[in-house]
Formats: sequence, C-alpha cells, structure tokens
Amino acid sequence: MIKSYKLSRMISDIVIYVILAILGIIWVSPLIWLVLHSFRAEGGITVPYIFPKQYTLENYKKLFTDTSVFDYPRWFLNTFVVAVFSCIISTLTVMMVSYAFSRLRFKSRKTFINIGMVLGMFPGFMTMIALYYLLKAMNLTQTLPALVICYSAGAGLNFAISKGFFDTIPRALDEAATIDGATRNQIFWKIILPMSKPIIVYTILTSFVAPWCDFILVKIIMGDNRDNYTVALGLQRMTDREYKQGYFKQFLAGSVIVAIPITILFLKMQNYYVEGVTAGGVKG
Amino acid sequence: MNKTKRFCAIALAAMMAVTAFSGCGGTDTTSSGSASTTPADGTVSVEGGDNEDPLYGEGANGTISLKVWGPDAAQDLLKEQCAAFIEDMKPYGDIEIEVIPQGEADAANLVTTDASAAADVFGFACDQLDKLVSSGNLLKVATAEKETITAENSESSVKAATYGDDLYAYPETGDNSYVLFYDKRVVSDEDAQTLEATLAACKEQNKQFVMDAGNGFYACLFAFTGGLEVNGLDADGVQQFNDYDEAKVVKSLMAFQDLLGQYSDIFVNGETTKVVDGFLSGSVGAGIDGSWNFASAKDALGDDVGFAELPTIDIDGEATPIVNMFGYKLIGVNSSTQYPSTSVALAMYLTSEECQIQRAEQLNWGPSNKVAAEQDVVTSDAALSAVIAQSEHSVAQVGVSDKFWDPMKVLGNRVVEFDDPFTEESAKEILDQTIANIKG
Repeated sequence: MIKSYKLSRMISDIVIYVILAILGIIWVSPLIWLVLHSFRAEGGITVPYIFPKQYTLENYKKLFTDTSVFDYPRWFLNTFVVAVFSCIISTLTVMMVSYAFSRLRFKSRKTFINIGMVLGMFPGFMTMIALYYLLKAMNLTQTLPALVICYSAGAGLNFAISKGFFDTIPRALDEAATIDGATRNQIFWKIILPMSKPIIVYTILTSFVAPWCDFILVKIIMGDNRDNYTVALGLQRMTDREYKQGYFKQFLAGSVIVAIPITILFLKMQNYYVEGVTAGGVKG
Repeated sequence: MNKTKRFCAIALAAMMAVTAFSGCGGTDTTSSGSASTTPADGTVSVEGGDNEDPLYGEGANGTISLKVWGPDAAQDLLKEQCAAFIEDMKPYGDIEIEVIPQGEADAANLVTTDASAAADVFGFACDQLDKLVSSGNLLKVATAEKETITAENSESSVKAATYGDDLYAYPETGDNSYVLFYDKRVVSDEDAQTLEATLAACKEQNKQFVMDAGNGFYACLFAFTGGLEVNGLDADGVQQFNDYDEAKVVKSLMAFQDLLGQYSDIFVNGETTKVVDGFLSGSVGAGIDGSWNFASAKDALGDDVGFAELPTIDIDGEATPIVNMFGYKLIGVNSSTQYPSTSVALAMYLTSEECQIQRAEQLNWGPSNKVAAEQDVVTSDAALSAVIAQSEHSVAQVGVSDKFWDPMKVLGNRVVEFDDPFTEESAKEILDQTIANIKG
C-alpha cells in the first residue's frame, strides 16, 4: 500500500516536473536566443540554426563606438538618469501616500483611496495627447525632466501594496513613539520606514524598471530630439526597414545590455524582494 | 450616509472617465484647430512680380532659422546640401539650418501631432501624403514651382506628390519599391527576364525563391499585373479603382498560383529579410526585396549579386510584365512654418537635379528627376537601373486607403495556397471579396 502510494507520488512528481521543465524551456528560450545571437559573428537578421557558428564581441563594440547613426551610449545614460530620478521620487511618494492612508484618519480617506484605485486602473498612455500639450504649455516637451515627471507624478496611486504592508506593522509601536513625544513625521522616518525595507525595495525595483520598458510616452514626448531618446525608442529605431538588415545584431546586443542595470539592482535586492511581495499580500 | 458616499464615488469615477476620454477627443480639436489657423492652400510665391529675391524679403528681418528632417543615413549629405543652400542665399539673407535625423516613415505622425514642433522642411514617404494634406500640414506648391517640378521629374513621381489637382510636395527619389534580387551563380541575367526561367534556375540548384505574399505591399502585384490599379480615394475616403477587366485580373491570379505552385518546394512565402539572410547562408537563389536592402545584398554576395526589374510572367501565352506598387520619397514644407518662402526655396533646391545626382552618387538613391536618372551613376548601377526600369510598369503608392493592405494580404496568402487551386469561379469570388473588403 505504502509502496504504491510512494510510486504514484513519484510518477505524479515526474509528470509535474517534466511539464514544468518544458514550460521553463519554452519561457527562457527567447532570452537564450537573444543572448546567444547578440554574440553571433556571421549572418544577417536570422540564421536557420540555433547556435551561432562564430562568436564575437564586435556587435557590442560597435554599439558603443559606432555612434554616428545610433547613439546608444547616450540613450543608455538618458534612461539611467531618468530611471534613477523617477525611482527616488516615486519611492518617496508611494511611501508617504501609503503611510497617510494606513496610519492617519481623516475625512474622506476612504473616498481618496477609492479615487486612487480607480485612477490607477487607467493606463497612463490614455491621456498621452493631453499630457503632451500640458508639458508643451510648461515648455518641457523633448526634455528628460518631462519623462521624470510623467513616470513619477502618478506614482502615489500605487499605494495599495505598501499600504497593505504598513497595516501589518502594529499600531502599538506608533503609540509608544507618540507617548515618547514623536511627531507623525518622526514616526514615519524613524519607526515605519526602517521596518519596511522589503516593501521599499519592491517599490524601488518596480519604479526603476518602468523607464526602461516604456516606449509610448517617450515616443510622443521626445518627437525629433534624438539626443534625449531612451533605449526603448532608440532600439526600435534600429529595426526600421532601412536599418534592420545592417543593425539587427547591434539591436540584439543593445537589448541584452538593457537587462544589465536591472539585473544588478535585482540581485542586490532580491532577498528583500521576495519577502516584500509576500509581506504586502498578507493583509490587503 | 453610506449611499451618498457611494454616489459620490460613482460620480467621481464617471467624471474621471469622462476627463480621461476627453484627452482623446482633445487631439481632434487641437489638430483641426491648428489646421484652420494655417490655410492649407496658402500659396506663397508672388508671381509675375519683378522681385528677384527667392526669399521674398524674409531675409530682411534678421536671421532665418529653419529645421530640416532627413533620415539618419542621409545626414552628412543633407548637411552639405543645406550649407550650399545657405551660401547661395547669402545675398538675400542669413539662414541657419538645423538638420535633425528623423526617419521618413514616422514624419507624418510627428508633424500631425504637433506641427509647431516639427521641421519646416521634411522628407516623407508618399503614402503619408493623404494624411498630411487632409490635416492641413502641407503647404501647397505654387504654380511657378509646380511647372518646374512637373517638367523636371518623372510623371509618376509627380503624380505621387499630387492630391486632387494640386501638387503638395516635392519629389525627392524614385526608388521606394521592390525588384528582383538574385544570385548570379544560380540565376543568369537572361533567366531573370522571366519568372518561369528564374524559378526553374532556382529549382535546378535547389535554392529558394523568396517573396512576401503575406504583405499587401508585395501581394498586390498578383492583382496589379492583371490590370487592377488604385485610383485615389473618394470624398468619404473609400478606395477607388480603375476600370479594370475582371477576367484579366482573375487570369493573372490563376497564372501566378499555377506557376508558383509548380515550384512549391522552393517557393518561400516569408518576410523580405529572408532574401539577404538567405544570400548569406546560401539557401536562397532569388527573391523580391526592396531598394532599401540594395546595400546589404551587395555586401552579402559581392559581385555575384544581380538586380533586375520584376520578371515577366506568362499569362495566356503572353509574357506580361509584373506590375507592382511603387513608392516615392517626397519633401514637404510644413504649413505652419514661419518662413514659407525660404522653406519652399530650400525644398526646391533639395529636390533639384544637382542634389538628386549627389544622392545617387553618395547614397545610391534612385532619382525622380529625369535628367538625373540618365546620368552614368544611375545607368551604370544595376540596382538603380532595375528600380527605375520597374517604375515604368508600376502603380504609384498614393491615394491608398488604410484598408487596402489587409484584404490584399489575405488575397496574397490565398494565391500561394497551392493545396487548394483556384477555379475561375473561386478566383473571381476572392477577387470580388478583396475589392469589397477594401471598399467596406
């Protein structure tokens, strides 16, 4: 009896692992292809085999040295700067908004929470034309600060997860601090924030990634100002009909490099990250 | 209490939804607003006056500053040409020109989004003409310039820049189309004359023939070869066609299916990028690809690369030239420019014979100017002469509805479905359906 139980369990394990392994391979194969072929020396856009015959660093070298047509290093730096600033601003606002909603009790708090939730459901690019004209009125179009504003101004709406996390921190701590004479502001900086590392890390990561992935806002805001492009828009340029044949391998290399800053940040913070996602989900 | 709260929440949500949508509506009002302030047909040059100044006095009030868009690959030459223009115009005024890289494919989108931030003079592909004219973003070409342009450029390129009876842009190139690319070790120059011989030569060496039948831009040749032509849009934006002979178009569709079907083992219906990739890997003998890949094909095959106008196909015992869709690059003048006369002068200069020859020499772009097209640099270049020869039997890509491409793609894919051969009725039916879907 036990034996057959063990056996059936083993069989089901094998089946499950095989399925998972297949799914894993399917999921990761485009990434592996991307990395492999970014080092490919021969061929044009595609080759009819998976493993390149010759490997080279030439594609990466060209990406950073041959900047006459596509100034990738500059676009990379632009994206990095925008990502850093919008990451700092969004993280601060998200934390502050969440703290207010979690700890303070004020009139129409619920209403604001609801408004925030509803607004958060609209994708940002829905208002992009309006955004463009607002930025134009402020004389900010085609500038990097405009991007920072776009990415971080609405960040406060994403309070839901961190508010959930703050709710799990016992209010007794706040009360003890209040008795000791701490103000709300001091409680936020000195009690709540040091205890919320996981959720801070989570917020930092999500807001840092956004500028690397966004395409549509950059496209409309930057117009013809190529010096201020970000990598997403720049890389898309490389796949234009006229350039695709000549620049495709550089495009692959560029796509791989985008992953580097994000990966570094992620590796540095991953221990907190896992804790952060689960911690926020305990109590919504 | 609770009810009021709920009501407030719903009302607020509704308001937000409305404001969010009003953002979308806002584009319409703003773009039409800007269009109405700048009349689209505001012509510029003063005719018959004794004014010799090509800038019509615009140089009198300080420096004229212009912004010009051109594709990345053409930057260096464009800068040189602008510098030459500035030099020429010195006696009439000081001009500053900022040359900004901006691909032709995207120009219309950027201009219609915000004309005041766009370039004064910009290059674009002729399929964007309708959009730019109807949004009022192009300055109409005045009669004097129109006469010069019509006299100097090929008829089809002028047609591609014409909307209604008026000319709205300056023809820059006559090469935005596709021709036959082949590997001379597989297909001889003589074979490349007819589609039958080309396919047979490919099959002999077991090499592929690539064509993108799943893309309306290429697939339309199946129907165009039978005499179908696009003929502008009517007032409601519905695609119009010429008075074509349905029986002939049906015969053309059947001839293509029949011929390609005989070579179904080497015929590849795939993206045009497979042509040059296939040259590199040695799997492709010939294929149909666009002029923008001339340089990569030359890099891939060196001296063995061959270019020819699209071959003929035997329809009813008659060798019929394949008719394709032909695009032109145009230069337009932004209707909201501060310096219309200078912009027009610059556009005229950039599309002149001199500049077109320079482009042919340095960028290998096929000219639309008739004199430039007869220069050695063009006639001695196999690729350029192939594409210019092709323009003789082609349909200009202008006045083409957005709805044209998908039904044509479906038709193209149906033609190369060799397992299900056409009967005369089924070919006629799919043709009728395609036309109805394009018009619908």
